[in-house]
Amino acid sequence: MTTLLKIQNLKKQFGGLTAVNDVSFSVAEGETVALLGPNGSGKTTVINMISGAFAPTSGRIVLAGENIAGLAPNRIAHKGIARTFQLVRILPSLSVAENVMAALAFRPNHLWGTEARDRAEHLLLEVGLGGRGHEHANDLTYIDQKRMELARALAAEPRLLLLDEWLSGLNPTELGVGIDLITSLGQRGMTILLVEHIMEAVRALCSRAVVMNVGTKIADGPTADVLADPAVIVAYLGDGHA
Amino acid sequence: MTRTILGFALVALGLAALAWLPTQVGAYGVGLLLGMTGYVVLASAWALFSGPTRYVSLATVAFFGIGAYTVAVLSETLPYWAVLLVAAGIGLAVALVVGLATLRLAGVYFVIFTFGLAELIRQLVTWYEVNVTGTLGRYIFLPISPEQIYWQLLALAALTIGIGWLIARSRLGLALKVIGDDETVAAHTGIDISGVKLALFAVSATIITLVGAIQAPRWTYVEPSIVFNPTISFLTLIMALLGGANRLWGPALGAIPLFLLFEWLSANFPSHYSIILGLMFIAIVFVVPRGVLAGVEDLWKRLRRKGEAA
Ligand SMILES: Nc1ncnc2c1ncn2[C@@H]1O[C@H](COP(=O)(O)OP(=O)(O)OP(=O)(O)O)[C@@H](O)[C@H]1O
Ligand SMILES: [Mg+2]
Repeated sequence: MTTLLKIQNLKKQFGGLTAVNDVSFSVAEGETVALLGPNGSGKTTVINMISGAFAPTSGRIVLAGENIAGLAPNRIAHKGIARTFQLVRILPSLSVAENVMAALAFRPNHLWGTEARDRAEHLLLEVGLGGRGHEHANDLTYIDQKRMELARALAAEPRLLLLDEWLSGLNPTELGVGIDLITSLGQRGMTILLVEHIMEAVRALCSRAVVMNVGTKIADGPTADVLADPAVIVAYLGDGHA
Repeated sequence: MTRTILGFALVALGLAALAWLPTQVGAYGVGLLLGMTGYVVLASAWALFSGPTRYVSLATVAFFGIGAYTVAVLSETLPYWAVLLVAAGIGLAVALVVGLATLRLAGVYFVIFTFGLAELIRQLVTWYEVNVTGTLGRYIFLPISPEQIYWQLLALAALTIGIGWLIARSRLGLALKVIGDDETVAAHTGIDISGVKLALFAVSATIITLVGAIQAPRWTYVEPSIVFNPTISFLTLIMALLGGANRLWGPALGAIPLFLLFEWLSANFPSHYSIILGLMFIAIVFVVPRGVLAGVEDLWKRLRRKGEAA
């Protein structure tokens, strides 16, 4: 398998706080990898650096052989990385379809007009929002906003999809639907790096997992092994449970 | 679709009527029409950039003055149409340099910088004229009648509003809406935010430069304190804000009554004019910050809701 994303010695400091400290891992083409860790361990910060929201303090982020660390987010988006946000971000003054068309209109091989409208409709159908393009994004329920956000990320036809707790806040039925949706993306060959706290989803979706704790990587390997690793259990549950 | 065609027909009819108007109103009337149309263009062009980006620019007169001065300097050496092209080119170049340097500035710093820019350019031109050419003022003798100036401004007004109409329907227009909603999402969907802002600033500034260039022959005598008068920046801003900087027709609708009001004020209360201008500025910012059009819409919605509830 060829490596799509290679993170090397990645570090991020916010003033005196080291949020991410010397983290290295890679993601192969077509793989779905979990990025795990307790609250505040630096997962979102890693996603933010990969997508260009923050420039790393040091380290390299290599996408298909090219170091993209520190590039502006719009440049990184054009290199083929799309993301969703831990706290869902919608464009509230636009319609649901326009939220998706925004991503279609500014990707490298952009779509516009009826082409964009048709494609947006198709993507909305795919995430379970078929026929609801005309609705106001602001009127959608939380789960539907998350669906729309995923459609917007998929609209970019990314080589690498970053999902930051996209499955959190769903009820059990919705969770099942969400897992099926991400599974189908993986089966189509999409490369996915996802941050998740729901272990049921991680087991179902990810062949590999990377675990962080207080900014450093503490485990990296096949999901089942990683989740059974005593160091990981301690990090998640505290010393008393080991 | 039919509504769009109807709209275009109406606008064309209106333009024809406006173009015909000078034959009916006499010299004073033409002067008024000319000044009014000038401010319609200034306010509309100002709003092209400042409406969607919410950057309040006080650089209007910097570009206006650059346009006027280019005509003053070159009118004897180049044909008129070439002078306009050169003026537009200089305005565009200055806008790109200034835009690259300042669009990273946030809020109030941008306001202060643009105000300073206008003063700086005025001082530079004054210094150059006094020390290098040895004069302060310049005469413009161009055989261009007030009617011709008015028609040029009318065409520029149509062009400016046409550009606004096109932008709203283009990818640039969508980019502006996305940026207005959430800059983070905009950047992560591949929108070059500074590029979009720079493009708008450049288009807006180039049009403003042309207004100065087209109006220059009207003055005959030009000096820095006339064409770089900061009142022009403030008037433009008040007009656009009053009408609503985020509406296609808002700035034009703000410019017409305010222009007439200011004409009347400066004729009747020349010494209190600046105070009244300042008070109006404050009143508009506090009472209808999003413009009268938006204010009326809000009021209409509220009344309708009340009607439904009753
Ligand atoms: N913009 C920022 N400025 C300062 N500190 C930050 C910033 N973003 C994150 N941090 C800090 O960096 C650390 C890691 O935060 P991060 O959001 O990456 O954690 P996380 O693993 O995603 O946690 P969670 O599971 O709660 O989402 C935290 O201590 C956080 O307070
Ligand atoms: Mg997080």
